[in-house]
Amino acid sequence: MTTTFEKLRAGDAIDGPAFAVSRDSIRLFCDASLDYNPLHLDDEYMKGSFGKTNFGGIIMHGMNNFGLISRMITDWAYPAGAIHRRLETRWVKPVRPGDTIQPSGIIKAKQVTEKSRWVLIDVVVKNQTGEKVATGEALVEFPRDLFCH
Amino acid sequence: MAQTQAFETDFWKDANLRKVWDDIVPGEPRKTIPYTLTKEAIELYCKSVGETHPIYFDEAYAKTTRYGGLIAPPSIHILLMFSCTPADDWMRSPGTVNAGQSWSYNIPARPNDVITLQARALDKFIKRERLFVVHDNVFFNQKGDVICSGRGWTIRPM
Repeated sequence: MTTTFEKLRAGDAIDGPAFAVSRDSIRLFCDASLDYNPLHLDDEYMKGSFGKTNFGGIIMHGMNNFGLISRMITDWAYPAGAIHRRLETRWVKPVRPGDTIQPSGIIKAKQVTEKSRWVLIDVVVKNQTGEKVATGEALVEFPRDLFCH
Repeated sequence: MAQTQAFETDFWKDANLRKVWDDIVPGEPRKTIPYTLTKEAIELYCKSVGETHPIYFDEAYAKTTRYGGLIAPPSIHILLMFSCTPADDWMRSPGTVNAGQSWSYNIPARPNDVITLQARALDKFIKRERLFVVHDNVFFNQKGDVICSGRGWTIRPM
């Protein structure tokens, strides 16, 4: 059933894709994003502490979470003729090779403005044990001139 | 494009050229470089996060949408942040930890767009013995239209 602005209610859920994190997936994200920070590549470097942080091994890019959340939002919005307008995220826990992460969303509020209609969505990414690894909020516009498929 | 071929993947190589937290001046523009976004770069990015929507791959389908042609996913700014900045940019300092980001999307980036970036550190502060820098960024296409704007919080290496 196609999502419409009128039918949406606070508390409605959006399910995102599960994503298996591996050394290969992290390396692919390096190549795709051009972010070759040794945090994501260098096991020796990650054995040490830097600043106040010790991760104990390489970690996934925080922005990989961001990309997954964005994918969930656009896959949900496009069929409804809606537009992904904003995403704010914060990383809560590091993600490591072997983890499986999955974004999800909960409709938080709807707002009508002078020229358009908006939906606020609480988003979260959890790992395979249900721990939150990223949290945030998305904003999706449902224009009045919907262009649906 | 030449700028992609020349991309230095060893972030240690120019580490001594990059500003440390003490050197970063909030409000001062960062050096940026124009970047031509290719269909191949979009496809590689899509692969890395499992994007499969035809609006990124299927020209015939994309022509039937509100966008009238292929687009990049909104989150393509993840790539643009590194493709539009030079090797001595402090975002590449090894050990830079991303604490969170927020982005607003105006219009999509498209294949063959020549993208420019206006960027700066906006703020820096110390919290719980960690050195933070806030950066803000606006990406434009070749027509001068805003693609997206965003802000990020990084913890600087010590």
